[in-house]
Amino acid sequence: MSSDSSVVVIALSGELDVGRADEVALALELPSRTTPVLLDLSDVSYADSTVISALFHFSEKAMATNTPIAVLIVKPQLMRLLEYAGLGEAFPVFRERSAALTYLTG
Amino acid sequence: MGDDVAELRMTRTAARANVRPMRHALRSFLEALELAPDTIDDVLTAVGEVLANAVEHAYVDGAAGTVELYARVEGDAVLEIDVRDSGTYIERTARAGRGFGLRIARAIAHSLEIDRSRGTNVHLSFDIVQPRRRIRAVK
Repeated sequence: MSSDSSVVVIALSGELDVGRADEVALALELPSRTTPVLLDLSDVSYADSTVISALFHFSEKAMATNTPIAVLIVKPQLMRLLEYAGLGEAFPVFRERSAALTYLTG
Repeated sequence: MGDDVAELRMTRTAARANVRPMRHALRSFLEALELAPDTIDDVLTAVGEVLANAVEHAYVDGAAGTVELYARVEGDAVLEIDVRDSGTYIERTARAGRGFGLRIARAIAHSLEIDRSRGTNVHLSFDIVQPRRRIRAVK
């Protein structure tokens, strides 16, 4: 996790499957502050529903705490996984980092 | 399609860490069939969910069981895959952020059937197009 004054960035990479479930859940613990969070999944080469469940809870907590979030997804496998799970519209998803940061910082 | 890629059969201990190597073996098998990248991604996504379910829920009492993956091509355009274990499969509903796995697998596969008569066997079939077969057919 990294942050500057305006946005917290959480970045995950590689293959995120059931074997890394605990790591993913831990990484997606929302900071206690309400600083906007960019979840950078651009280097995730494979994901399973472990990520979907973690994203679901991440999004719910963000809504409950009024924390702005944006999810950066580049690889088509993860984008389609979201759609197959019926969550294609559930989070603010961006393919370009600059667009995600603009969304978060206004 | 060469005979060397006609089928894949492998058995591993039912452990979370073994889903990844089984998925990698399946990817190699699918790449040898020269399927489209999006098709390979989708099959790996669906079968990955079934494998994850098998290792997560099949042996809830901690017994050391196994998971078997069997993939083969039937005819020209159907990929058949079985994931078999000897435990009790738990089908969860997609609510409260849990249990998305089977919903995802069903959304991708042409068919998905669960047989619990002896352990659990999840059978998936996928419609596929194999470039080499298509080329051979027009010669």
